[in-house]
Amino acid sequence: MDQITPNRRTAGGAGWDRVRRHTLLDRTYHWLMALCVIVLMATAFLPILGIKFEWLDIHWITGVALAALVLIHIVRALFFQDWRNMWIGWTDLRELWRDTARLLGSRSALALPGKYDAAQKLYHLGVAIVILAVVGTGLLMLLKIDTPFWRRNPYWFSADTWGVIYVIHGFAAMAIVATVIVHLYFSLMPDSWYLLRAMVRGWISGKEYAQHYDPSRWKA
Amino acid sequence: MELFRYSRSIYGGSDQLIGASWDLLPWFVGAAVLVIVVHALLSALAKWRARHSA
Ligand code: HEM
Ligand code: HEM
Repeated sequence: MDQITPNRRTAGGAGWDRVRRHTLLDRTYHWLMALCVIVLMATAFLPILGIKFEWLDIHWITGVALAALVLIHIVRALFFQDWRNMWIGWTDLRELWRDTARLLGSRSALALPGKYDAAQKLYHLGVAIVILAVVGTGLLMLLKIDTPFWRRNPYWFSADTWGVIYVIHGFAAMAIVATVIVHLYFSLMPDSWYLLRAMVRGWISGKEYAQHYDPSRWKA
Repeated sequence: MELFRYSRSIYGGSDQLIGASWDLLPWFVGAAVLVIVVHALLSALAKWRARHSA
């Protein structure tokens, strides 16, 4: 929870009116990152699927932008936000097990999560791994191309090492296509519209907060 | 099905690894669609069960 905008109480004092979930900076980060990922996927895969155009310049420039965004996010998450919100602990693993069991028909009680539930945290971990893989290898691959700022210098690594770097970039890129499709499904599902709305407006209603979260695990 | 792409050496040497094989792309898309379909079916079933057990 950020301290910039205090949560507002309703006039009658009947609980919270609005509960801030994402600051403007974090929402801007999320949507800029999404834009970068879409441009990177389009410039990478449309030519492979047969739609040819000059993709490389748009691709590497957007790639450098994504690298900068991700770096800012990591610094913010570690030093300015509460990294424990995204940390996967034993409670989360137990919850994941119970949620799966419930989906399969068990009647175990529903425990309310903190700011992010176990599935969201696991998803974040997966996205972080593939995005960091594509950013790390992508930055190295800049050595293989000519730009206005530097000449290509492919001799830093042996041909075999370059092969491995390209394999990682390629596999992570295809995994990103899969994670984006799954992400679209879960965020467009009517059950999670309130989360999509929160990534646009920044807040959820007090009712949504009470309904979906354990206030001792996510202190508003 | 190939997992990797190789370039053939014109000098007759061994093939050089150059990247992932794009034949795999449909499998990644398929895996994502499978996750969606399984989740949608299970949650529809869970809702149905909740409604008919009251
Ligand atoms: C969503 C993220 C990304 C996706 C889906 C993606 C996908 C791809 C794909 C499929 C290729 C073709 C690779 C090959 O021929 O084996 C490629 C090439 C390339 N990517 Fe990315 N990429 C992403 C992010 C990045 C980032 C963050 C950077 C740089 C910071 C980057 C830099 C490059 C460069 C320089 C090449 C061209 C290398 C060459 O032609 O020799 N990419 N990318
Ligand atoms: C070591 C790497 C990373 C760390 C330590 C990290 C940490 C975090 C934390 C602590 C949060 C929760 C912030 C809060 O609401 O209190 C978060 C949210 C988020 N992360 Fe990461 N993250 C990392 C990498 C990434 C990467 C690579 C991406 C994708 C490009 C990403 C995308 C997001 C998104 C979209 C959110 C939700 C935005 C929000 O709630 O403000 N993260 N991350």
